[in-house]
Amino acid sequence: MPDTSSKAPAAVATPRPRRRRRRSADWEGLLYVLPAAALVIVFFMIPLGMTIWMSLHKWPLMGKPRWIGLDNYSRLLGDSDFWNALGFTVQYTLAATAGLLGVALILALMVERPARGVAFYRTAYFLPVVTGFASASLLWAWLSNVDSGLFSPLAQTIGLTSEPVNILATFGPAFWSVTIMVVWKMAGFHMVILMSGLQSIPADYIEAARIDGAKAHQRFRYITLPLVRRPFALALILCVSGSMLAFDQFYIILSGGPQNQTVTAVYHIFNESFVSFRLGYGAALSVVLLAILLVLSAIQLRLLRDRGETR
Amino acid sequence: MKTKILSGALILAATGLGGVAQADSFTLWVRSDGSEFMPKLVEAFNAKGEHEAQLQIVPVNELVQKYAIAAAGGSAPDALSLDLIYTPAFAAAGQLKDITDLVESLPYRDALSPAHMSVGTYDGRIYGLPFSADASVLLWNKDLYRAAGLDPEQGPTTWAEIREDAEAIAALGDDTYGFYFSGSCGGCNVFTFTPLIWASGGDIFADEGKTATLASPEVREAIDFYRGMVQAGIVPAGAQTDTGANFFAAFANGNIGISPSGSFAIGALNNQYPDLDYGVALLPGKEGGASSFAGGDNFVVSQDTENLEPIKAFLEFAYSVEGQTILANNGSLPVRADVAAEALEGLDARNLVSAEAMTVGRTPYSVVFNDLINSSNGPWATTLNRAFFAEDDAVVDEAVEEGQEEMQSIIDAAG
Repeated sequence: MPDTSSKAPAAVATPRPRRRRRRSADWEGLLYVLPAAALVIVFFMIPLGMTIWMSLHKWPLMGKPRWIGLDNYSRLLGDSDFWNALGFTVQYTLAATAGLLGVALILALMVERPARGVAFYRTAYFLPVVTGFASASLLWAWLSNVDSGLFSPLAQTIGLTSEPVNILATFGPAFWSVTIMVVWKMAGFHMVILMSGLQSIPADYIEAARIDGAKAHQRFRYITLPLVRRPFALALILCVSGSMLAFDQFYIILSGGPQNQTVTAVYHIFNESFVSFRLGYGAALSVVLLAILLVLSAIQLRLLRDRGETR
Repeated sequence: MKTKILSGALILAATGLGGVAQADSFTLWVRSDGSEFMPKLVEAFNAKGEHEAQLQIVPVNELVQKYAIAAAGGSAPDALSLDLIYTPAFAAAGQLKDITDLVESLPYRDALSPAHMSVGTYDGRIYGLPFSADASVLLWNKDLYRAAGLDPEQGPTTWAEIREDAEAIAALGDDTYGFYFSGSCGGCNVFTFTPLIWASGGDIFADEGKTATLASPEVREAIDFYRGMVQAGIVPAGAQTDTGANFFAAFANGNIGISPSGSFAIGALNNQYPDLDYGVALLPGKEGGASSFAGGDNFVVSQDTENLEPIKAFLEFAYSVEGQTILANNGSLPVRADVAAEALEGLDARNLVSAEAMTVGRTPYSVVFNDLINSSNGPWATTLNRAFFAEDDAVVDEAVEEGQEEMQSIIDAAG
């Protein structure tokens, strides 16, 4: 922070007006953040507080809540369904994140530089992002329908399979089908983030490396990759936290099937809260999931921090 | 709360200023299954001009949650047409108004459907009144029967006949199938699959819902019956992953020979697919006999509702011959026995079959019905899905055993 040191002597020279001005600037600043702060308080802090409060109760969907302290949390430790769901969510997060960021990076490299028709491709890649998750899932559910959809009849017509194959009936194909849907739908979003990073790399660096005789893959590895680290970290965190909260696609396309093998953590929370009507327990699960997400995000931030920031 | 106070104030203002006779209104919710008959009933009631019912149709899978959230926020509807299965749970949670006195004032109270009344009664007081009735039945496609050289006027009466007819129809071509069911839908299967078990002398619960009997031989035979048809290839592959979305649509499409469904389908098929030529039979047991799931809605009143006047008027209209006829013409069955014959007059024989199904029907009772049966991740749905589509017997054994255990543990945990 070099500018504070340069300000300090000035503050000593003329203390009074400076301080007053700074104090009023503080108030002014507070005024500016007030709307945002109010939003955060009303729509995040208060609901969060209520969730924690609810998690300490036996809170049925209908009827009177009863204080039970930490019982929900101790029950949660032995809830194998929740831990299985969390395990599946991690598996999905790994697959989706690898797929999303890989595809997004390739797309970003393809459309980064201005060229003929590039605007068209950018729009085309981004287009699926603006469909809602629910509508995309419904579309996919129909495409995957073995009797009236597209994939299975298509595979049969072009001779890949001799009989109709219900891809939603076994875990592997069902899981990958949903993951591919998510990559199709979300890659454009991450492409934009990474593209902005790529475009901010000064052309001189690449030019200089080229003059020094660096090959294309070397330029990518030693110049491009390190310099897109920040946007990459942003994309990674958005991607991981988004995938850890996956629900719609598995609910709509698979209903958690086949045989409950695709019930994600949020899906489990939904079931506890709104199918079994145990809102208090659902709240406790949500608090734990939030804690896990916080830890994950902190780890990612640390791993991807620039060296300069560690000081 | 706010809207309620506001609308209350508006009504007060209207009556105060205008000095007109009582034109009260009340809000009414119905699950989407009632979207055939309810709007027509409400329209006819409102046309009388005395009172006004404001109807909202709620997706069937979200009704309980939506209601609970609205009730917690003070914006519950005044009255609700509720899946009768949930009446005890709602009453136990203190959400419903005791309407025993209202019931006592109805001269025909003894003629109202006893199955509905029994689940509508909690702790000796009445919280729910029979509103609509829906019995599960078996549908068959007469055109496909003709094409396969079968007698189109004779529906199957045993499991063996279902299998035989279904095979003959499946042999017609690649896009024609013998039998359809929603293989991944707990609610659909309790409605259409358990009657096959009941009609063969078995059950999925014993001791008033305190014991699960999924591992009984009768249940196993019924599972083997479905599984046999799956393995014979006469069930479309999509059945395995149908979570209920195609429960009605598959048969309506016209390429399915036989499918268990509900009396609601008669109204919906007649209104939406007038060209489909189909028959309605009772769901048979293994060697004959018949049973059905006696379902439908109870009419309940929210705890906080003050003005019962328009609600009572609506119920009286619904129970009148005119009201019961509207129900009968639009996919429900009459719930008032003494005028049922009159209400069903002029309707085709198919409606009479489902009225008969109602009389042999049963309604399983469980306080954890949602957890056990309706949840698509619950033991009932999961077990059946695994067992129906199992490659070998060992998987069926394992599925049934695990399902039995899980169901029992959920029942025990609920106390």
